Amino acid sequence: MKNKSNAKTAETRKKRLLSLLEQQGINIYDHLDKGKFPQFVIPSRSVSNIVYDKKIRQYILGSASAVRSSRNMSQLRSYTQLAWLAFFVNRLVREGKSSTLRDIYYSSQAFSIDFEDQPESDNIIVDLEAVLTSPREEFHIFPEERSSVFGDLTIEYTVPGYEGKRMNLSDHPDGYLIGPSLSSAELVDTSAELVIAIEKGGLFTRFVEEKVHKKFKAIIVDTAGQAPRSTRNLLRRLNSEMGLPVVILADGDVYGEHIAMVIKSGSANAAHLRELTVPDAKWLGVWATDIEKYKLPTIPMTESDIKRIYDLQKDPRYQEGNWKKQLEVFLKLKRKAELEAFSKYGLTNITDKYLPAKLEESKSF
Amino acid sequence: MSKEVFSQISPSEFFYRNRDLAGFSNPTRSLYTSVREFVENALDACDQKKILPDIHLSIKAVDTEKADPKHYILTVKDNGPGIDPEHIPLAFGTVLYGSKFGLKQARGMFGLGATMAILYGQITTNKPVTVKSCSDGKTLDEFVMLLDIQKNKPVIQKHNTKEGSKTGLTVSIVLEGDYSKAGSKIRDYVYQTSLITPYASITFEDPSGEKFHYARIVKEMPRPPTVIKPHPHGIDVETIRRMITDTHYQIPTIDNKMIDKVKKELSLKKNLSPKEILERAQKRWSDISRPVRTVVSVMSFLNIDFEGLKKIRIDDIDIANKTITYWDFGESQSHAVELDPESPYYKQLASTVQGDTLLTFLTKRFQRVGPTTGEKFCEFAKFKPDKRIGSMTNEELVKLADALQKFEEFLAPDPSCLAPLGEEPLSKGIMKFFNPEFAAVWQRNASAYSGFPFVVEMGIAYGGDIPPNGLKVYRFANRIPLLYDEGSDVVLKIVNETEWTRYKIKGDPPLVIVSHICSTRIPYKTVGKENVADRPELERELKNALQYLARKLAVHMSRQGAADMAKKRANLYSKYVPLIAQFATELAGKKKEPNYNQLIRMGSEIEEQV
Repeated sequence: MKNKSNAKTAETRKKRLLSLLEQQGINIYDHLDKGKFPQFVIPSRSVSNIVYDKKIRQYILGSASAVRSSRNMSQLRSYTQLAWLAFFVNRLVREGKSSTLRDIYYSSQAFSIDFEDQPESDNIIVDLEAVLTSPREEFHIFPEERSSVFGDLTIEYTVPGYEGKRMNLSDHPDGYLIGPSLSSAELVDTSAELVIAIEKGGLFTRFVEEKVHKKFKAIIVDTAGQAPRSTRNLLRRLNSEMGLPVVILADGDVYGEHIAMVIKSGSANAAHLRELTVPDAKWLGVWATDIEKYKLPTIPMTESDIKRIYDLQKDPRYQEGNWKKQLEVFLKLKRKAELEAFSKYGLTNITDKYLPAKLEESKSF
Repeated sequence: MSKEVFSQISPSEFFYRNRDLAGFSNPTRSLYTSVREFVENALDACDQKKILPDIHLSIKAVDTEKADPKHYILTVKDNGPGIDPEHIPLAFGTVLYGSKFGLKQARGMFGLGATMAILYGQITTNKPVTVKSCSDGKTLDEFVMLLDIQKNKPVIQKHNTKEGSKTGLTVSIVLEGDYSKAGSKIRDYVYQTSLITPYASITFEDPSGEKFHYARIVKEMPRPPTVIKPHPHGIDVETIRRMITDTHYQIPTIDNKMIDKVKKELSLKKNLSPKEILERAQKRWSDISRPVRTVVSVMSFLNIDFEGLKKIRIDDIDIANKTITYWDFGESQSHAVELDPESPYYKQLASTVQGDTLLTFLTKRFQRVGPTTGEKFCEFAKFKPDKRIGSMTNEELVKLADALQKFEEFLAPDPSCLAPLGEEPLSKGIMKFFNPEFAAVWQRNASAYSGFPFVVEMGIAYGGDIPPNGLKVYRFANRIPLLYDEGSDVVLKIVNETEWTRYKIKGDPPLVIVSHICSTRIPYKTVGKENVADRPELERELKNALQYLARKLAVHMSRQGAADMAKKRANLYSKYVPLIAQFATELAGKKKEPNYNQLIRMGSEIEEQV
């Protein structure tokens, strides 16, 4: 059994956030009282200010920042929107309520904060993430899409009404939604020794049916395509708080490779955030070289697949090692294979043959 | 061999055959043109006598049930000076009878249009014209008459005289027209005429009985134009020929009236001998008139008295051959008498027949030519200043006309013959018609093209009651609205070439431009006289006027923009600052909201940072 190894729990993170929000509030209050124009300093998210930090192995924002001032008439409206969001997030977090991106957009109307459309409110949410360097999930704001988790992991809820209640995530075979209450829960203990993140819901179900969690002492996470931030945050916590290694299985194409990369080192879109990456995560497959090695049935790449390869070849994270090599092989093959391709050799081939082989192989990378 | 037959046609017949040229091509256009001709004549008549015009126009269908085109009664009544009864038959019953041949700005050029309308009415309906006139404020003469087209003569059907009270003229004709098609143009015409004639009161009653009344907006009339002599640059060979013909003194027609005049000037009571008459004339030579001097000179050469003078007709005075030829009625034969160049009367006859010297002719008959300029010109044109104009050959006339065009030292034409409306009346008209948020007018100084002076005045109006349907241009020339052929007009060209965004005007602005060109000759592009040609001098003046006004509008727009911005700022800060205060209070965990009023005030007052 593994216990919490990291002191940074949900509770301390909540305290940190509430304190940051209060500081902002006091700052604005004092400005108003003294007849000064309050302002927010927002780290710039423009392309020129996004740099790759080799030390922490993720994209981060540079030192450039923008000032959003209530003194500037053209910024007054978005300044107020940001102040409102801070105020609203403060309520959400204090009262332990959850919201979604869409819900934020609609809630604003009750406060005569007129967002023109949801993209505008989504942008303000990202602004607040940048101001507080915290992901929106910590604000209790979630995207609509959900991914799932299954395996022997005991959690303890912190959401109102469930405080202290514990739950084991292997009790329900469909898996558990990685939603607001699970994201804010404390991770208590687990017998697992490994986390397997898998790109597709279909294979997630297959893995549960095949008892992969037992055979490999694993917690299985369905990323449902590109992993949402709450899922990436959970993967990170499983890795950092519970000390579990994370491996990733995705389709044998350039998008699959990048899903693994985002879990490992984040995305440019979230360069203003930390705590979303699992730098030690390992990409099991399906590699381009696996396509030949396992004689997988393939389909030809599309134009956009190939364009995507060229784009990624410019990314600093793809400049060396296996990441670079696999891109080159994909470009040479100009063909791709899905995870389901293994069913050509029987429905359990992927769990019986491929997975053990790759896990063994991964010990050497 | 066939024999060609030449027959003379009367001016009436000529116009009848070419009525398309005068704007009478179809019932729609004819109705519109007739309205214009009568209204413009009425306004011109009032202008000339400085009477504030009061014009009533009515169009009534003869048979309201019939479909267009049909017969309409068109009546125009004015409060002008009226016309002396003896002139009415000729004025309205013949073509080419008019007094508008002088050189000054007037609406109609020759007064032909009204007669054309009468002619057109008569042709299409066979109905006479009715003219009611009161010129002395006491008697009202009513004429009902037709036009004899072949003879170009009026045929009076009825004439009666009643008691009148006010001066004025009413003309009423019956004509074939199409009001359903011409109506909108006629209404536009009346509307725009009222705009450019703010000192007039105009009422229009349409066939349905609806009345359009445009009240007088200003009580002052613009300064009337003066008749002036032509500028040398605006002259051609034909005009010079005509001027020479009416300049050099004709041998007076010697009739009883002339003889009485001679007797009167010489104070002769009884018949004297030729010798005695000459003696009397010598004594008073400096006091007697030129025609009398000429008659006396002729008498001296023929050695006859008044009785003798009555029996002859002078046929020719040939200075080159020094002979005078006359016809004797009694003897029914022609006589020639030699002229003695030594006689003191010879010079009198010679100058009468040969006319003035070139220098005198130029200084007397043209503007901007004084003795100095005249002499310089003669040198330039290689003519002797004392050359008699009556002795000029055709080639010499062409050379003269050509030189007049080319000589560059004449001053620009005298604009006193022009009558622009003036800035104040134009501005008042625009304010009354459009009730705009902003208006500006400008009258440019006089300028000239090819010897014809012109003045451009322009107005611009923005916002207020003007609908935001985009730019609307009202074009006027000599106080006449130009309604047709807008596309090819020079004013439109200038307006369209303007980059309005530079003047802070965007989209479909509520913008009106009023352009008025005054000239002794508007350079129309076509006979239809609806669009003005793009003469460079005219284009430059229009452009300057428009740019000046557009700049004024831009100043207004930015002032308006700044005011709008301040208002917007104030609104924004009063809306958002209390919200920010509310959010901050809860975030900071405070109970009482901060005092943010100062900030709202500051926010509203900050200048926009660029």
